[in-house]
Amino acid sequence: MSESMIELQGIERTYHVGGTDVHALAGVDLQIAKGEYVAIMGTSGSGKSTLMNILGCLDTPSKGSYQLDGTGVHGLSDDALAMVRNRQIGFVFQSFNLLPRSDAVANASLPLLYAGSTPAERRQKAVKALERLGLGDRLDHRPNELSGGQRQRLAIARALINDPSILLADEPTGNLDSATSAEIMHIFDELSQAGTTVILVTHEADIAEHARRRIRLLDGKIISDESA
Amino acid sequence: MSFREALISSLQNIGAHKLRSVLTMLGIVFGVGAVIAMLSIGAGAEQEALETISRLGLNNVVVRAKDLDTEEAQEVRAKSLGVSLRDSEAIADAVPGVNLVVPKVAIDPYQVITSGVSTDARVYGVSAEHADLVDLPLAVGRFIDGRDLAEHAQVAVIGEDVRRDLFGHEPAVGRLLKVNDVWLEVVGVLGATAGGGEVDAFQGVAIAATGDAIYVPVSTALRKFDHNVLDSPLDEIIVRLDSAEGGRKAASAIDRLLIHLHGGADDYELIVPEALLAESQRTQRMFNIVMGCIAGISLLVGGIGIMNIMLASVLERTREIGIRRAVGAKRRDILFQFIVESFALSALGGLAGVLMGIAIAQAVAASAGWKTLVTPWSVILATGVALVVGLASGIYPAIRASELDPIESLRYE
Repeated sequence: MSESMIELQGIERTYHVGGTDVHALAGVDLQIAKGEYVAIMGTSGSGKSTLMNILGCLDTPSKGSYQLDGTGVHGLSDDALAMVRNRQIGFVFQSFNLLPRSDAVANASLPLLYAGSTPAERRQKAVKALERLGLGDRLDHRPNELSGGQRQRLAIARALINDPSILLADEPTGNLDSATSAEIMHIFDELSQAGTTVILVTHEADIAEHARRRIRLLDGKIISDESA
Repeated sequence: MSFREALISSLQNIGAHKLRSVLTMLGIVFGVGAVIAMLSIGAGAEQEALETISRLGLNNVVVRAKDLDTEEAQEVRAKSLGVSLRDSEAIADAVPGVNLVVPKVAIDPYQVITSGVSTDARVYGVSAEHADLVDLPLAVGRFIDGRDLAEHAQVAVIGEDVRRDLFGHEPAVGRLLKVNDVWLEVVGVLGATAGGGEVDAFQGVAIAATGDAIYVPVSTALRKFDHNVLDSPLDEIIVRLDSAEGGRKAASAIDRLLIHLHGGADDYELIVPEALLAESQRTQRMFNIVMGCIAGISLLVGGIGIMNIMLASVLERTREIGIRRAVGAKRRDILFQFIVESFALSALGGLAGVLMGIAIAQAVAASAGWKTLVTPWSVILATGVALVVGLASGIYPAIRASELDPIESLRYE
């Protein structure tokens, strides 16, 4: 196996709900190498969202260790996690999560705003990323002036703008029709071929088919891990 | 994110919710506007008071006969004959630091005539020093002198208008005119420059235009003209002091002297411009404190309005906060963003309030005829307080925003 991008060991995540403990993740060990194309699957309540939040450094594990690109990120401070998200992780969400009142350039360059780039630098990088995703003629458009597929491509442009270590996509085609879904999945395939580490979180088998490795979760545990 | 970028983004956000932002700002707008307008009215009134007081002359003390109704007068006259020449002589003799004492009485003229011609005039009995007090420029002849006073001479110094009406182109000095039942010889004519119909001031003593004035020796005025015995013989005694600093001390010396001379009768008042000035400043301070409190309350209400809207805005933008946090915004970035936004709201409100305050001040000046004065410090104070209120009321919502959980926020519908 080539060098490891993600290394999870004994990850547990416990929520306290109404006096009882809910084990969303009950001991997950997982290694994902650089450049891998992985799908994390499971029904709702299986813990796949919790796992994605932990992988994306939005949440911290209750127990266990998480090495991201060689650095332990479990137990980091809130500010440090924000910085990890900013530099190393690109998110793509089911509901796009774009800023409605900002144009495509401003949306795509949002991570750079918190990375301390100058306005000129931000615009230049955003234009480049948008052109790469075929939105070169939509720079000044706001999300509500874009189609669903264009919105998701804008979200992908935003996710890629900081050259992240991993691209985390949470049901990226959940709000799209099948033709547009195919178009978006094609983008992920291409990104993977270009060397980006892509992690898809989905409950749809045909979407997971795109990945070369499929991990199934049930009740907070990995029940299968197969590579195509 | 620099302050400039945060400010631009805040302004865009404010612009995206114009109505809501304007309604939010109203509290601050009215607060600041009210402060500036009220303080401008106060400052205008103060300046007017200062001008009036300085017109009286800061180094003058005026003893003025009180207006009494008949009953009061009958009672008082049993003890005191009123403000009289005896008072003015006593003041000149006994009070230290006195430079000049000018007794003055107005005569009510029912006729001012010469052979077959009449005119309207204001007639005053004054002493020779009156010319020193107000420096009346003479065109021809001389002013009333000590001998006139001693001899109760029937002489008069007349204004330019009186001369023209009574004597036309003929020389007036040496001619006779009759005021009421008293014949007077004209000894001097005042220059045309002394008064153009407007009330003027010289050396701080208010003087009317002298064009229609006739001056006679005060002793003549008291002896030769009919006089209601219940009235005080003199209308006022103007006491000019060597310096303004001694005003209050001299005033209390004069007061002690007059209490003694008037047998304790309360038939005169002392006007000390220096004391009036202090009184006016005290009143002004009170006014400012009261206004400050009212303005403070309205700004507080404005601040609560801002806090309310910012809290609503945080709730409405929960998802935006989640997105920003997901792509790497730290808590303090979110905090900063919301504080800058409430700062921008209050700054815009403050600016609009300043404009409104100036407009109100001018409207008041134009419609009520009051003097208003927008002072720079009132503008600085009002906008400063507005900014502080805006920042303070933005802090709590901003903290709430920064403490939102990114995962929850991203899921927020």
